[in-house]
Amino acid sequence: MGERTEQVITLSLPSSMQHTDLLKAVVAEILKETDFTEDIQERVNHAAIEAGTNATKNGNRAGPGAHTTFKLTLTHDELTIHTPADSEVFKYKPSETERAVELSLPSSMQHVYLLDVVVTEILRDADFPEEVREQINLAAIEAGTNAIKHGNKEDPLKRAVILFCLDEDKLTIIIEDEGDGFTRKEVADPLDPENLLKSSGRGLFLMEACMDSVTYQANGTIIKMVKYKETPQIS
Amino acid sequence: MQVNVRHKGSITILDIEGKVIGPDTLALKEVIDQQIKMADNEAENSERLNLILNLERVQMMDSSGLGVLIASYTNIRRNDGRVVLLKLGGNVRSLIVMAKLMTIFDCYDTEAEAIGHFL
Repeated sequence: MGERTEQVITLSLPSSMQHTDLLKAVVAEILKETDFTEDIQERVNHAAIEAGTNATKNGNRAGPGAHTTFKLTLTHDELTIHTPADSEVFKYKPSETERAVELSLPSSMQHVYLLDVVVTEILRDADFPEEVREQINLAAIEAGTNAIKHGNKEDPLKRAVILFCLDEDKLTIIIEDEGDGFTRKEVADPLDPENLLKSSGRGLFLMEACMDSVTYQANGTIIKMVKYKETPQIS
Repeated sequence: MQVNVRHKGSITILDIEGKVIGPDTLALKEVIDQQIKMADNEAENSERLNLILNLERVQMMDSSGLGVLIASYTNIRRNDGRVVLLKLGGNVRSLIVMAKLMTIFDCYDTEAEAIGHFL
């Protein structure tokens, strides 16, 4: 990370959910990228908890459908957590995404760890079996890696936006990048004997193996993945 | 992720701990490449790298991590060395099974057995 580079990460949460743990987990992960002292990290964590608690209260007042967007700006020696003031906090989302958590990242591979953190937090209180959680985590990391590395080619000016939508029976993850896209069927099959010993090219295969459905939209720049709590029964 | 390097006779053991995902996989590759290089420098003593990758404490591995295991396997073989995997957890095992690589890697459940591979 260049010293002058400013990294802006945004996290948008539905007002219906408790913000504190997720915000705290994301901040803790971002701090790992810095050389802030432990003492300062602890103080930032406290501030994040405070900000999250306030936002939850404000969010509850705003009612269903509202979102709170936290803007986290990281430079080499500073982390700013911007929690919009009451009057400007809430942007309303179309109904499809009103319960979704949105994470927007600059395209640095370092940020793929945030996907792991956010998925873990979102599923913390959902009763997905342990094995299913691990599959979702892996698929999210693979999708994030694809978007940042292959889609956006690690261009820090391009963003990867990831939506996580938790329903009673399933988790939907939608990943969008700003790259040129790709055609799924043109990607080589990693199980083909001639590709078995290749050291890359398994990302899409693993996403499809781990999730119940993976669909490619907008020329592959939008990927939608769904995982059900229970394996869907074919009637 | 953390990697601890230890030696038992002519055998090098890497104890890998944590999540082998994202940029951390490059750090693992560097450690392994360094071991390959060191063994190569000592090659006049006909020492080839005998490497055990202990995966017992690996909580999670992604396709980049798996790629590092495969690249290590091919690089070490090319240098006449050998590499085995020790104590695959459920996650890593299912990753290797899914990628149809179980027949490629020699896997052991105990360190004694893994060491036995080289004797």
